[in-house]
Amino acid sequence: MERRVGGVQRRVSDAAAPISEPSRRERRRTERDLQRSQGAWYPRWFWPTFAIPGIGWLLLFFVLPFYTIIAVAFGTIDLFRKPVPIWQPWYWTVKYFGDVGTTLFGDNAYLQPTVLRTFVYVGLASAICLVAGYAVAYYTARYAGKYRTLILIALISPFWISYLMRMVAWQNLLAGDGYVNVILQKLQVISDPYPWLEGKSATVILGLVYGYIPYMILPLFGFLDRIQTSLLEAGRDLGASPGRTFWRVTLPLSKPAIYAGLVIVSLPMFGDYYTNNLLSTSPRTSMIGNIIDSTVRESPRGSVLVLMLMVLLIVPMLYYLRSTINAQESR
Amino acid sequence: MQRHPREGWKAARQIMEARTGRRVSRRDFLRTSAGAGIALPSLAAIMAACTNPRETGAEGSGAAAIGNATPDNPRTLPVVGEPIADGLESEKGATLQIYNWDAYMWRKVIEEFCAEEDCDYEWTTFNNMEEAVTKIQSGQFNFDVFFPTYDVLGKLVVGEFLRPLNKSYIPNLSNVWEEMQSPFYDVGSQYSVPYVVYSTGISYRRDIISDEEIHNADNPRAMLWDPQYNGKVGVYDSSRDTIAFALQYLGIDDINTEDEAELQKASDALQELSDLVNARVSINGSYARLPKGDFTLHESWSGDINAGWGYVPEYTQENFETLGYWYDGTGPVDNDLITVGAKGENPVLAHKFLNFFLDYQHAMDNYSWNGYQPPQTQADIDSLTKTEGRYSAEAKWAPPVTYVPEWMPDAVVQREWFGSDAVRLLELTPEGDEKWNAVWEEFNAG
Repeated sequence: MERRVGGVQRRVSDAAAPISEPSRRERRRTERDLQRSQGAWYPRWFWPTFAIPGIGWLLLFFVLPFYTIIAVAFGTIDLFRKPVPIWQPWYWTVKYFGDVGTTLFGDNAYLQPTVLRTFVYVGLASAICLVAGYAVAYYTARYAGKYRTLILIALISPFWISYLMRMVAWQNLLAGDGYVNVILQKLQVISDPYPWLEGKSATVILGLVYGYIPYMILPLFGFLDRIQTSLLEAGRDLGASPGRTFWRVTLPLSKPAIYAGLVIVSLPMFGDYYTNNLLSTSPRTSMIGNIIDSTVRESPRGSVLVLMLMVLLIVPMLYYLRSTINAQESR
Repeated sequence: MQRHPREGWKAARQIMEARTGRRVSRRDFLRTSAGAGIALPSLAAIMAACTNPRETGAEGSGAAAIGNATPDNPRTLPVVGEPIADGLESEKGATLQIYNWDAYMWRKVIEEFCAEEDCDYEWTTFNNMEEAVTKIQSGQFNFDVFFPTYDVLGKLVVGEFLRPLNKSYIPNLSNVWEEMQSPFYDVGSQYSVPYVVYSTGISYRRDIISDEEIHNADNPRAMLWDPQYNGKVGVYDSSRDTIAFALQYLGIDDINTEDEAELQKASDALQELSDLVNARVSINGSYARLPKGDFTLHESWSGDINAGWGYVPEYTQENFETLGYWYDGTGPVDNDLITVGAKGENPVLAHKFLNFFLDYQHAMDNYSWNGYQPPQTQADIDSLTKTEGRYSAEAKWAPPVTYVPEWMPDAVVQREWFGSDAVRLLELTPEGDEKWNAVWEEFNAG
């Protein structure tokens, strides 16, 4: 007879089985005795209760706010012409989705350039983060030696200062007479100060790179650090050049970290508005986040944009999850 | 059925009842009109949400309850709620809750008020009126005094967020210009007293643009569209002000227009502003960043550039004189107000605060710091460019500055600009508001 006890399959010999079918209470006692004999016994509900704080947190700080955004997007405006949530789905309207739709696809689709610009900025910034971040992570994992801890501390140290403060610092660094221009002029890279803060796309992209690159380096470092050197040595032993070993061994092995890093940096970049607000403020560099920021108090359209952006971002997120699962399965 | 909001929330309720065919409690009214906001509402509000708010919100008839006051069509606000009784003592040892724009009041003068009244104060700021109203709507913040713009005044009254004033506590109201003692948006000053007045013109760097150049230009506003100032032009992050500026640049004098064609022209002009000079949008560009050299030209409130000398990189006369202001009487003039909160804990103190800041000397001391002119009758307007203010007198580290620097006399606000033909930004209809928002959103989308 095969019985499932506490999630573990156990074979009990027929001879040990009682002659008559045991009552439910007896069966439970037997199970408990078995578990006790293996160590501490806990009732079935014990472990699941550990999830309660997490679930509570999610309900309070994710599900409820998220439902509020949905309720506002499908909601209405009040006497102050401010967005008001409608909590009951049967009263919802798609009016504001239509409004946003016309600004994206209608005759006067003025949001199209903003969306396109956001994708270009985030794409470029993520790519720069990846290339620069990979180099730093690779060096730290493989060659930093005794300086490894120091480099890691240096990588984490920006987190000690708020993102906002760091961006304000950049305002001074990038000013006409700021250090960046002074150094570039001294190095004779430029002859006149470059107007970094006068609404330049390059400034916003570099601001995004600066703000988010640590989030790229850390997962990459964690992964590269775990790659066994024996695999690399095997590659070399089999006649591959260092470059080829990197291309055929290290890079494919670090793919999950690359995906993770790209997702971690690009998702918040899509919603970023502070970088543009602090380093540019020109409408010609505004991103979706800026439009949400300026509309969200004025109209349910702001919440509609939040939802649309979310739907859009779910696609790379799902791709990332799929590739992570595939990578785990193939291991 | 059109009714004006200033007929009170009960009037608005009647409209809702007529529309929905059911009785609307005040609680329903507040919940659907003002009680929710985008912030998470209280549990009670969620529990109470059992009817369709769309029928009673602005999409329904509720919107009709908000009307429009103009200088030639002044409105009396309804008295909603009770004013405080006469002759009460100030609340002792209280903490006055002040809800104001940032950098809009000299703390030293507030501290003097607190020393006189034996109270403390808490200073809470907002960045724009939308943010302020959203916080007030949430019902979580019981302010004693609040500085609204007049376009939200009627709505705040209908929502019962303001307390009717007992003017026996505010004898200094008689110190202000007569036309301000009973303004068109609040006839009889039932809820508000005037705080400061200002004009909207252009601030510029005098080391790059001479006074003659801008004053002799056929259309000085067009200088913001001049490609030679590419990257150095700024406008306010304020849809009403900036679209009105674009309309006036185009020669359209009705700065409250809701005409599609005119607004389309303004929209095109703003797109052009981005194309030609990549204009930047901010709220502190004129007073804080133009003095540092970040901008050469900026749409500007007179008070902003008047306070600009406090933001130059080094406090020298030469730097002060780099700041200039142009205004010719054609642009908008406006005033801000002080009101008393309906749920504030210190209404007597709040009334005395209003009275304190309407006192000539206190108003002028505050003016010397924030640059925004109080509409005081006693102030000799012609001497403002010749008299040093208290802040400058106390700021020994800087060369002396008069209330208005003598080289920018345009920053003095003249009383005659506030007559019945005043150029003022007025409240729009809900449809007009949407059109203006669309123009603004399009500009911001770049």
